[in-house]
Amino acid sequence: MNAIAHALPTTATHGALTLRGLSKAYALKGKPMQVLKDIELNIQPGEFVSIVGASGCGKSTLLRLIVGLDQDYHGQILLDQQPVRGPGLERGIVFQDHRLFPWMTLQQNIALALKNHTMPATHKDRLVAEHIELVGLSGYEHAYPHQLSGGMAQRAAIARALVNKPKVLLLDEPLGALDALTRVRLQQELQRIWVQERCTVIMVTHDIEEALYLGDRVIVMDAHPGRIREDLHIDLPHPRERDSAVLHAYKQRLLGELVGH
Amino acid sequence: MKLHNIRGLVLPLLLLGAWEYASRQDAAGAYAFVPLAQVGSAWVELLGSGELLINLWASLVRTCTGLAVGIVGGIGLGALMALSAPANRLIAPLFHALRQVPILGWIPLIALWLGNGESAKLLIVSLAALYPMVLNTFESLRQVEGQHREAARVLMLSRTQQLRLILLPAALPGIAAGVLQALAFAWVTSVGSELFLSSGAGLGSLMMTAEAGARMEIIVVCVLCIGLCGYLMSWLCTLLSRRLLRWRPTR
Repeated sequence: MNAIAHALPTTATHGALTLRGLSKAYALKGKPMQVLKDIELNIQPGEFVSIVGASGCGKSTLLRLIVGLDQDYHGQILLDQQPVRGPGLERGIVFQDHRLFPWMTLQQNIALALKNHTMPATHKDRLVAEHIELVGLSGYEHAYPHQLSGGMAQRAAIARALVNKPKVLLLDEPLGALDALTRVRLQQELQRIWVQERCTVIMVTHDIEEALYLGDRVIVMDAHPGRIREDLHIDLPHPRERDSAVLHAYKQRLLGELVGH
Repeated sequence: MKLHNIRGLVLPLLLLGAWEYASRQDAAGAYAFVPLAQVGSAWVELLGSGELLINLWASLVRTCTGLAVGIVGGIGLGALMALSAPANRLIAPLFHALRQVPILGWIPLIALWLGNGESAKLLIVSLAALYPMVLNTFESLRQVEGQHREAARVLMLSRTQQLRLILLPAALPGIAAGVLQALAFAWVTSVGSELFLSSGAGLGSLMMTAEAGARMEIIVVCVLCIGLCGYLMSWLCTLLSRRLLRWRPTR
């Protein structure tokens, strides 16, 4: 709680993300398949945006475009008014599978993200230690990924994405592969970490409750082609109560919309 | 010592028993299957005169040198073919055609070019080690998972950093398997090349000399030595690779 009270006054000034007329098509058996169509989105610095939608709505593709792994699209992606070209350290990503390198210890994995920074080694060591602490993995610095549980590995992946102090953190169903209890615990952790770091976060999930619990905004997407159906602003301060009546009402509504027809 | 630890000794001991039995049947049997006592005394004699160690050492040094050349060259060539499509298109057809020729089939040509000295044998051993190294390095680099490559790109690692920190470690299990194969090939061709190019020291040369003198017991000592040393070297190699690959989950 201390950390939260301390961190609240700092509001982010960087990390405004603008998507303009973003479209993406794959060639499937020679025919173009529209995956994303005319996505328009303005994300404020420091905002937590959840994206939900049926599978095939292109939500993960959207993250791949933003992180720069896929540069074959139409439209514009602007980060603080600058066009995004290819991957960059100002954008961090966490995938559903932790993607830690199995031959490196937890510490080496996180330090790898700082590989090309020109700061002194002692500074790097401190940053790595701080971020291991941030995700609650102190004491596991020298463990190899296969020695960590799924939840711990995912925490480590979050630390690796954050250690560069990215302006935007992209989360691609980060808790999707975890068991229910671990997921709830990590949702709380994510909220605490975000309140502390205050970077812009875009999280793709198929868990409506998770999207509402964490998001300042919940974007609902439709499939075939992927497009934005609804943009909900959730006006509840963080940290939130999981069983809040407001969230519950939203959940019923979204469930009705997504499953109803 | 536990029971399952000695289980591997059962068959060799049975074989020794059968050998001894065959040697005691008649004169022809005693010639083809030298009595174990005679083998033992030949062993002592060869050790005492230093002959065994000198020849063994020569074969071992050649194996290790050739193996080192093969490993370095094989990883280099395999990596080049895996990482550069033009290089692969240029080299692959020639490589795969040459690889069909049995190693010992090269000996007449190599003897013609380099004579029957040490350099000819070294070339043969290096070549034998090179093939499995190229194949294993190539395959395991090709099979590095896309998600590792993506994670490396997101972390903005340069091409050389990706090779050094991601691709090669990811390919290490396959490369280690290649080294184990290369070691076996190098050892076999090292002794084999001595049988064909019998000049200088080596276990193979010792066997050829023994054959000329009809000293069967010396040949048997050499065969035992070759088997034991090969077994020991691959055991050491396995230990080393287990140490290097300790990051892998134990199954």
